[in-house]
Amino acid sequence: MSTDVEDLLREGMERFTADLRASAGLTCQVARRRRRRRRLALCSVTGAAAALTAGGVALAVVVVPSQQRTGIELTADVVKRVSSALTAADPGDIARMSVTTSSASPYGGKATTTTAEEWSYGDQWRSVTYSSPGHTLYDEGYTASAGSSVYTLVNYSTQTWTKRPGLGRPAGAIPFSTLPASRGCRPAIGAFPLLYKFGLPGIGLPASSLPSTVARSLRTAVSCGTLTVAGRQSVDGIEAIKLTSRPGSFISETIWVSPSTYLPVRVVVRSASGAPAVQQTADITWLSPTAQNLAKLTVPIPAGFRKLSLSAVAAPTFKQISPALLPRPKAFCLMPAVNACGNPPFPVGGPPLGSGYR
Amino acid sequence: MAAGRSTAELERFLAERADHLLRTAVLLAGNREAGEDLLQTAVERLLRRWGRIDGDPEGYVRRTLCNLAIDGYRRAGRWRQKERLLRTELRQPQDATGDVDLRDALVRLLLQLPARQRAVLVLRYWEQLTDAEAAVVLGCSEGTVKSSGSRGLARLRELADGWNDTAAMCGRNGK
Repeated sequence: MSTDVEDLLREGMERFTADLRASAGLTCQVARRRRRRRRLALCSVTGAAAALTAGGVALAVVVVPSQQRTGIELTADVVKRVSSALTAADPGDIARMSVTTSSASPYGGKATTTTAEEWSYGDQWRSVTYSSPGHTLYDEGYTASAGSSVYTLVNYSTQTWTKRPGLGRPAGAIPFSTLPASRGCRPAIGAFPLLYKFGLPGIGLPASSLPSTVARSLRTAVSCGTLTVAGRQSVDGIEAIKLTSRPGSFISETIWVSPSTYLPVRVVVRSASGAPAVQQTADITWLSPTAQNLAKLTVPIPAGFRKLSLSAVAAPTFKQISPALLPRPKAFCLMPAVNACGNPPFPVGGPPLGSGYR
Repeated sequence: MAAGRSTAELERFLAERADHLLRTAVLLAGNREAGEDLLQTAVERLLRRWGRIDGDPEGYVRRTLCNLAIDGYRRAGRWRQKERLLRTELRQPQDATGDVDLRDALVRLLLQLPARQRAVLVLRYWEQLTDAEAAVVLGCSEGTVKSSGSRGLARLRELADGWNDTAAMCGRNGK
């Protein structure tokens, strides 16, 4: 039967359109329509300009109705420009995460607990890792602009720092590529956590994504069955919706989201039984991008610290926390030298899910 | 065809090809009204660029129709698709002309497919283009055309198989 479908479809299309005839004078109809649109274009541009003036939105663009353009195009152009202007003015909130990582050593060593503070905002990201409360282990982050990024790492143990361009590509390539597409459900994505980049501190919020994108993706994950609503729980006084990953997932992930915004307020990831016990908890707050909050995204370099190569700055810290699994400098996780040291860069979560490490 | 065509050439082209293009537009848009609107918009664009188009004007119109149909689908949102689903109820095969009904049903289901899948199937099975030619029209890779076409056909095959099962069941039950 199925081999006939193509033929039946052809015949069906033939039948469906058999009695259609284009009306005579199509050119005249189109010309009339074009004149009508030009008149509408003038109205649209005038109306849009009035609205923009009233709203106080400064557009550095002067929209001039062209002889060659239709009303729809002009209206669309104005809408697009206003939308771009608003997007530029409101790129979303800064995600601030407080991350606690507990990990057991696969080699029978002592269990480790570290905490980190992390900020994620568009192409910028920063993480400060503490070995104990108030004792900074290292501070790292990257900024990206015009397609290039600069990774900065400050090692407080050795009082060294480094900057390296090209490392720390804008976040987002990995975690959100595993999320369901907004228009449908991608299969076989249950094996990996949605928001968490396991083996690294913090959650993998995508670069350049607005909070609305995060919320929408979570909603889609729920509608696709990748996440299941497991009731409501109070998280720091917020009555949050609890979402859980599919049973049997390689890594179990629980996400609490705000009922009003559907933004995550807490994410907990646990390794599955059989793997070294690792748990990461991220408490998330969403900050408005004020100058004070934006300043948190910059990695400060303390006076008196020496500048060295990346491996020289990262290795001592890495050695210090070895063989503990987590956390480690993110850029370093991709470097072959890490594996050469005998420390698997992604011990539990498996290999990176994409080309970047976040 | 070289650039710098005359209006008379445009009239001649439309006189020859408008019927076929309208049929394509209706298949892409889903109904006659929307198809006529789609074709008029495409012809309007053709009119603006008539003097500057190098190559086949029909290819230009076809490409414009597909792009407009896909963009229109995006703009219209899912509600329109749902509305169509609600409006369209598949008739069960009632007699020996089941194949005819199935053809109609296939076309109705075609109109419910996502715009890109629909465009691929229209280009492949109505316009008789190859995957490579369809890819050029849609401005995507040949692989995308193949996968979209395959998904669309798979959906249609599901319908056809279900149709046959229902027909067989009706036959067994004496309808």
